[in-house]
Amino acid sequence: MVTVQAPVAGSTTADRVIDQAAPSKRGGRLGLLAPAGLLLIVGLIVPLVIMLWYAFTDPSVGLGNFRWYLGDAVQQRILLRTFTTAVNVTVVCVLLGYPYAYAMVAAGPKLRAVLTLLVLVPFWTSLMVRTFAWVILLQDHGPVRTLLATLGLGEVQLIRTNLGVVIGMSQILLPFFVMPLYAVITNIDRRLILASSGLGAGPLTSFFRIWLPLSLPGVGAGSLIVFISSLGFYVTPALLGSPGNSLISQQIFTQVNGLLQWGRAGTMGVVLVVITFAILAILALVSRRSTRRIEGVRS
Amino acid sequence: MKTAKSTRRVRVGVIATVAAGSLLLASCSAGGGVSAEPVDLGSGPAVSGSVKANALKGQTLTFVSYGGIYQDGQVAAAIAPFGAASGAKILQDGPTDNAKLKAQVNSGNVTWDVVDTTNIFAAQHCGELFMPLDTSIVDTSKIPAGLLTDKCSVPAMSYGLVVMYNTKKYGANPPTSWADFYDTDKFPGKRGIQGNGDIDPGLFEGALLADGVSADSMYPIDDKRALKKMASIRKDMVFWSTGAQAQQLLEAGQVDMALLWSGRAYSAVKNGAAYAPMWNQWMPEADALAVPVGAKNPKASMAMINYYLGSEQQAKLTELTSYSPVNTDSKPKLDELAQSFVTTTPERVKDAFKLDNSWWAENHDEMVTAYTNWLAG
Repeated sequence: MVTVQAPVAGSTTADRVIDQAAPSKRGGRLGLLAPAGLLLIVGLIVPLVIMLWYAFTDPSVGLGNFRWYLGDAVQQRILLRTFTTAVNVTVVCVLLGYPYAYAMVAAGPKLRAVLTLLVLVPFWTSLMVRTFAWVILLQDHGPVRTLLATLGLGEVQLIRTNLGVVIGMSQILLPFFVMPLYAVITNIDRRLILASSGLGAGPLTSFFRIWLPLSLPGVGAGSLIVFISSLGFYVTPALLGSPGNSLISQQIFTQVNGLLQWGRAGTMGVVLVVITFAILAILALVSRRSTRRIEGVRS
Repeated sequence: MKTAKSTRRVRVGVIATVAAGSLLLASCSAGGGVSAEPVDLGSGPAVSGSVKANALKGQTLTFVSYGGIYQDGQVAAAIAPFGAASGAKILQDGPTDNAKLKAQVNSGNVTWDVVDTTNIFAAQHCGELFMPLDTSIVDTSKIPAGLLTDKCSVPAMSYGLVVMYNTKKYGANPPTSWADFYDTDKFPGKRGIQGNGDIDPGLFEGALLADGVSADSMYPIDDKRALKKMASIRKDMVFWSTGAQAQQLLEAGQVDMALLWSGRAYSAVKNGAAYAPMWNQWMPEADALAVPVGAKNPKASMAMINYYLGSEQQAKLTELTSYSPVNTDSKPKLDELAQSFVTTTPERVKDAFKLDNSWWAENHDEMVTAYTNWLAG
């Protein structure tokens, strides 16, 4: 079984161990990072630098591409739509994934194995296959619409809408939320719950004051993975959505492939990366503050 | 401590970036500068469909197209026989990717010898990404009138953007004009239309014809007026982004009329979709074959294109793919249905709208931007 290590848990102690090691040992450990580091440089840093280069130099040196992008009302709307979609997908994943991960922890070993399998099977299935499955399920004469109409809920347009895109993306990204969360909450010391009820807390108080705060690092890690992955989705919005609700990746594709405007495409990439980093920075600040509060509770 | 670590990390990163960058540069420049090998294609004027036997022995040519049954058909009908006749070794790549092509030409490391692309893209980038064809090697005399768009390409086959209508719904009183396509009072129902981040010539023209613009005063296109006309039925429009999706819209009966490519329309009807074409003012289109700037052996590439244009090759291509031949002598053997979708017969040519492809080559990017903005807004 695959376990996903939440990046939050235990990272402080690991840092401390490395800092205390002898300098020569530290060098050796850094050497172990070389293959992954090289891959990152060739596969991430170099393309990022090239993208930046294009953004500022193609077709002419200067800020022309940024002036175009920031002055184009349609592009602004698409950028906003991309972030709203990512937020919606993240919220859906939290709402569906949290109770699910909780059930995985609460269940007995057999049920837990089944629940784990139910998360992993879609995770192992190709994204294309799952997207096409959603196309069939959500299409105009498809089963979901027919079912909703039979239940008297009316004719709901699903395919070619942003709703359809959010449904498809949430299902595809749900495992990326459940697994980090499960990894965190399975390690919560359950004697704390016992202790709280021993001290007179009801089940709701125990959940909101003990369990929930301790599970937040998992929620944070899962949400972050889901949110950032959502921003770059291309295939699913292209197939489940319509050009009327296209996201930034589809616009970048048009610039790269249809118009050969690599400078503009690079600019859109730069703007996306900058805004994403800004959001991450804010989240990191907020979560550090809340972690400190939890640690305050612990000590 | 922490700063020392991070400065070292930065230093290592910079060194590695520089190293990787120079590696990239080295591999790019290694590809350029290969001089063309001398080719003797014989004397006398070129005749399409022929090549001097074994003229290209020992050479390798890479043919690039859009994959699927189309590329298979091209290879079986013309490219593989060309390899056998000329002695050249044939490689294939695909699908055609305009961005990849630009990257190859810019870096000077061109591995594609003959590329199948759209006629507008070829015309738009003639001289920049594609080189002019040498008419002493490529015989263009048998190409149907109006299909030659520029000096850098020849048509690879032809097809059209055609309105298909549901025969069950409109069979008794079928649409006969572009005005009918845009008239959802007279012909209520959904309309399938292209919406894939590009725009084919013909989409705006159809809307403008429906709005009362005459064919003679069509160019320059008034894109705002066209989009206004399209907006009038937008709530009934269903946008398709791939040919397969367009075909699926017909086969699943999700739209009552659709504007789509004739090859896909034919496949849908062959699979049992109850739709029929409206040929009045249909929009002729073509793929194009072209040679990238910096191709290693342009003469050999052009010899391949000349062979591809032969009447027998074109007949076989049509039999295998249902796309129409681009040689006026070509006589493909087809069943009745496939024959009815051939777009190069005199009666089809008579009904076709005369697109101004040179105007499109100049204004394509503006039109794409106008259309995608309208779609996304």
